[in-house]
Amino acid sequence: MKRLSLVAAAGAATIALSPAAFGQPADDTIVVGLSADITTFEPAAISSRDNANIVRHIFGTLYTIDGDGAVIPDLAENLEISEDGLAYVYTLREGLTCHDGEALTAEDVAYSFNRAKDPENAFTGNTPGFVFSSVGFQDAEALDELRVQINIERKNPIAFGLLAEVYVHCKDSYEAMTLDEAASNPVGSGSYRLASWVRGSEVVLEKVNDPGTFERMIWRIIPEASTRSAELIAGNVDIITNVAPDQIDAINASDAAQVEAIQGTRRMYVGFNLSEPFAEMPGGDAIQDPDVRRALQYAVDVPTICRQLLNFECERATGLVNIPNANPNLEPYPYDPDLAETLLDEAGWPRASDGTRFSIRLQAGRGRYLNDQNVVLAIAQYLEDVGLEVEVDLMEWASVYVPLIRERNVGPLFFLGSGGGLWSPLYDMTDLARADSGTNYTHWDDERWFSRWADISAAQSPEEQRVVIDEMLEVFYEDGPWLHLYFQPDFYGVSSRIDWQPRPDEKVYLFNASLAQ
Amino acid sequence: MWNYIARRLLQSVIVIIGVTLISFIAMQIGGDPTYLFVSERATQEEIEAARRALGFDRPLHIQYLSFLGDLVQGDFGNSLSYRQPAMGIVLGALPATIELTFFSMFVAVVFAIPFGIFAALYRGTAIDGGIMAFAMLGQSIPGFWLGIMMILFFGLNLAWLPISGHVPFLMPLIQGDILTAIRNLPGALYYLIMPGLAIGFYSLARNARLVRSSMLEVLGQDYVRTARSKGITEGSVIVNHALRNAWLPVVTMIGLEFGFLLSGVVVIETVFSWPGIGRLVFNAINQRDIPVVQAAVIVLSLLFVALNLIVDLIYLRIDPRVKL
Repeated sequence: MKRLSLVAAAGAATIALSPAAFGQPADDTIVVGLSADITTFEPAAISSRDNANIVRHIFGTLYTIDGDGAVIPDLAENLEISEDGLAYVYTLREGLTCHDGEALTAEDVAYSFNRAKDPENAFTGNTPGFVFSSVGFQDAEALDELRVQINIERKNPIAFGLLAEVYVHCKDSYEAMTLDEAASNPVGSGSYRLASWVRGSEVVLEKVNDPGTFERMIWRIIPEASTRSAELIAGNVDIITNVAPDQIDAINASDAAQVEAIQGTRRMYVGFNLSEPFAEMPGGDAIQDPDVRRALQYAVDVPTICRQLLNFECERATGLVNIPNANPNLEPYPYDPDLAETLLDEAGWPRASDGTRFSIRLQAGRGRYLNDQNVVLAIAQYLEDVGLEVEVDLMEWASVYVPLIRERNVGPLFFLGSGGGLWSPLYDMTDLARADSGTNYTHWDDERWFSRWADISAAQSPEEQRVVIDEMLEVFYEDGPWLHLYFQPDFYGVSSRIDWQPRPDEKVYLFNASLAQ
Repeated sequence: MWNYIARRLLQSVIVIIGVTLISFIAMQIGGDPTYLFVSERATQEEIEAARRALGFDRPLHIQYLSFLGDLVQGDFGNSLSYRQPAMGIVLGALPATIELTFFSMFVAVVFAIPFGIFAALYRGTAIDGGIMAFAMLGQSIPGFWLGIMMILFFGLNLAWLPISGHVPFLMPLIQGDILTAIRNLPGALYYLIMPGLAIGFYSLARNARLVRSSMLEVLGQDYVRTARSKGITEGSVIVNHALRNAWLPVVTMIGLEFGFLLSGVVVIETVFSWPGIGRLVFNAINQRDIPVVQAAVIVLSLLFVALNLIVDLIYLRIDPRVKL
């Protein structure tokens, strides 16, 4: 009996002493449940969106772009661009400080840019890997305490927006740290500083500056979608990302939270690989003909795919540019299988006696995009309905499909998504900045597109530039290498205790989030 | 005995070398690893330069020997994702997985023995039927499904247990922070209950069946009958005479069990957001973070081999009939 009492007492003590980690967050704390792990706090090594979402609260940028694409000053308050478009001189706000207590000056900004480029550091994150290679970054120099000059090697109409993605960090602290140390000890000048990081579990940020409503942010890593939903409904988490479509009803049926759906900026498409090796494959020869590619645009019912498989009413894309910046004269291709069949007949690919026009392979990765496997199967079925024999090749995403994509060795048809933005059509178009660009997975080399980049650079006014852009988008619409699909919707679960509006560009910024009234 | 240990150690070294070879080749199959080290927009010249600088242009057997040379020094290179030494990251995630694995092993063994004994003692009765039906259920339900069901029932509907997360116990203990470890212990156990059961349920069911069949075999032996005829109490006959021998197959199973439980943690750690080595490896494979995958595979193999060696030695101790 005595032993039983001891066991009971121990059990009670266990429950009583258990941390209330699974209780509701305090009023000064907001908790976010992310699907992907956080790997680093090294500002020049960050490349994933989830990682960037946290880090943006720690590091400032010179300017920032809001969810609608509007430009807002951040660390800088003024920008002058030289006449040749190769020098960007930013003037910083006065009174900026780093989390280490030092003043943040032009020297820190120049250091942040040059450190990211330094080949000895071998960074491959978004800053050196995307921003610098896109703008042809040369170097940065502090002109005085508040003015910093960024030099680029070629005039680039979207350099300003790209440079706004570079995280500014604090020279003294980073010079004193090794690269290993810098990966887990961020020293920035943003509203929040890193309080703790338990790898694979959670990141805690504490507020040090405005803007920011909550004193603490907790970013929990919850990879399983159903577990994220359960934590949200239980009230333990305030915001979750990547709500699975099959859990939307369960969340909405609870009093605790609602699902916010938003059309994102990620462009989903089926690419036509037009390279020579693929032209020799079955179906690869057929898609070399722009008339065939155009015919296939009519064969796929994109709105139905969105409605049935993504739980979302979407607008079909007309090209590679997000809708607010698209050519307004272009209408999305309608679903018209009869017209698709007529155009394929006219292009010289009639149905054979077995009802087939030609065979072709459609490759795709599994598990990267929303319901991607079913979307790919649906597209294949639509193409088969107009007489193609489609061999669907679904592959493991990371270790099989991504290497093929990186080597531009996928196709003849392949399913892919590419992140985009709302602040400039050119940002979306830079996937195809050059015919040999690493992101031109289709090997498309139409001169009517690639020769026009010089015209964009030479344009004297935004209006003149817009004319060229619209002409390029028309070429892409008519003869381009993408079968246009949709902009991937994003689903966020938001607790009813929180006021927060998601953005279309997958950025989860919580500066303006607040407790619901 | 020492000969036996030396022979087993030699076998272990051969196994580990085999594991290094397989892990090296497996990561090469995924394509040219150079692409992992350059940006998406790198030109062909930049890719070629990176390939030379990283040594990926060398013949595969030279790369493998170089890999082995670094390995014996515990140097797997820096993680491509974390940009920190891969071995440090793996060892950082290991305590959470050991907590989970040992807890589920505890569940699988401690509950299995009474279930097995009762089923054997009441063979052919409703108790036996009930326990065996329960065991069949345990072997039929996938761990991840059981985990999600427990989350919904005990975590969400009843709110008795935390849905996901982890309170560290072993890590502060290793770091010498004993006070924190003690303070965390109740929370650690609390967070362990659901994932531990989700992983251990299958093994519990299998062990219960194993104990039952061993007990049935042993209970029919002459020495048990002799013990009973001497007037020894039934409890003493079962615990001191029957169970002592019936227990042997279970001990053999425990060593193998560890490998099975480790394979289970990959899924369960994902379901319960447990920051262990299973999830780390899963993410590393997804990101083709070769150094972390290789470090994790080697560490887990070492652990598995060492535990099996220990089990064999224990077996030798508890069953003197075994000749080495």
